[in-house]
Amino acid sequence: MSQDLSRRDLLRDVVRGTVLAVMGGGALFLVRKANGQVVWQVDATRCVNSRLGELGVEACNLCTTQCVVALSAVRAVNDHAKCGRCNICPAYFNITSAVDEKGYPSEKLCPRDAITRKPIGKVDPEDPANNFYEYFIDEKKCDGCGKCVMQCKEPLGLGSIVLRVRYDKCVDCNRCAIARACPKDALVRVPMALGSR
Amino acid sequence: MQYRQTQVMGGYWKAALCGLAVDRHGHFYAAGDSHICMFDAAGRLVRRWASARPALAVGVAVDGAVYVGEAGQIEIFDAGGKLIDTWRDQARLGRVTAIGFIGDSVLAGDAADRAIRRFERHGAFLNNIGKNNPVNGFLIPNGVLAFAVDAQGIIHAANPGKHRVERYTADGELRGHIGRFHGTDPAGFGGCCNPTNVAVADRIYVTEKAGPRAKVYDFSGQLEAVIAADVFDPNCKNMSVAVDGRGRVYVADTVKLAVHVFEQVTV
Repeated sequence: MSQDLSRRDLLRDVVRGTVLAVMGGGALFLVRKANGQVVWQVDATRCVNSRLGELGVEACNLCTTQCVVALSAVRAVNDHAKCGRCNICPAYFNITSAVDEKGYPSEKLCPRDAITRKPIGKVDPEDPANNFYEYFIDEKKCDGCGKCVMQCKEPLGLGSIVLRVRYDKCVDCNRCAIARACPKDALVRVPMALGSR
Repeated sequence: MQYRQTQVMGGYWKAALCGLAVDRHGHFYAAGDSHICMFDAAGRLVRRWASARPALAVGVAVDGAVYVGEAGQIEIFDAGGKLIDTWRDQARLGRVTAIGFIGDSVLAGDAADRAIRRFERHGAFLNNIGKNNPVNGFLIPNGVLAFAVDAQGIIHAANPGKHRVERYTADGELRGHIGRFHGTDPAGFGGCCNPTNVAVADRIYVTEKAGPRAKVYDFSGQLEAVIAADVFDPNCKNMSVAVDGRGRVYVADTVKLAVHVFEQVTV
């Protein structure tokens, strides 16, 4: 009898402990969220637009269509340290469009014309292939459609462009609409310090 | 002109397959991981030996010495795989991704500084090639500088950022180029930066990334054939290419870590 009681006590203590741990974790999460310490961010290794090996598929634009913020809180960001500064950048040009008389693709890729480029160093007008460029994304125009991200991905590009949640735009929903829709679970909760990188 | 795949050599590399070369006796060499593999003409492994650092490139001199490009150095082995010498020069041999020879000169492609270095055969530096231009070197976003030397001693260097293969003399004079960008025409080089690798024999052989393919051009830049495209892993890039005296084309699949061998189909 006493053995049964002690087993029951043990079971009850375990259940209580588990419930308390879950509640404590949840409370801690809410406190950290309230303090802005935990935020939503795109995991580039999961996002279909930037994940290596996902080739020959259309860019996923759920970040554009699902976000409750107008124009989406997710924007494309170019890591200049990784960018190849290519003369013909597949994220800037539609590289399958007709080639013009200068040898460049005749169309740009971004449907909102959010990517601009500036030549680096001395420009060679005689031979355009001698020039290389710094690429900038205008976040006021970008809606996070992911087309440039898909084209910048290895092996076509160098993977310098990725999608990122911008915290000046994100309203930090408890249940992020993009996270619910994302088939790759690429929207994840991370500490603010990690999310801001 | 058509090619067919005749052989695939795999199982020798675990993490990386970077450089291919042939010697005048028909032996085939592959640099990958931290070792060199030497195969006979039938594709049988003859010898395998270790390099001090990850092997990024391999070249075989006329005397049979095997030069291995690494980060910060070149190791020189005899034909039996015994270390003869090591040239260390962090400034000029930052990341050696190609090796070649013109007469008594040794050429090294330094991807770290985007230039080809020319040394005399004992290792004394002679001159740079491809450095004297508005962009201060080759445009190689892929991180590999590749070149090959033809029978006349002309250097054919891939300049993928310009979508060209450029011709240089040994003293660094640019003599011309072939190639142009085109996103859909197979005669052009697509993507941001192609071709990535080059070999020269009676023609110019190149490989491209995204989608990976091997092609052959005549010296005027006319496409003669797409050697292969769909046999490589789609994530391949920087696929080293070599051609032997019988016209067999060796291409490294850098993801599956295998060497594909192609031969011309005679009609």
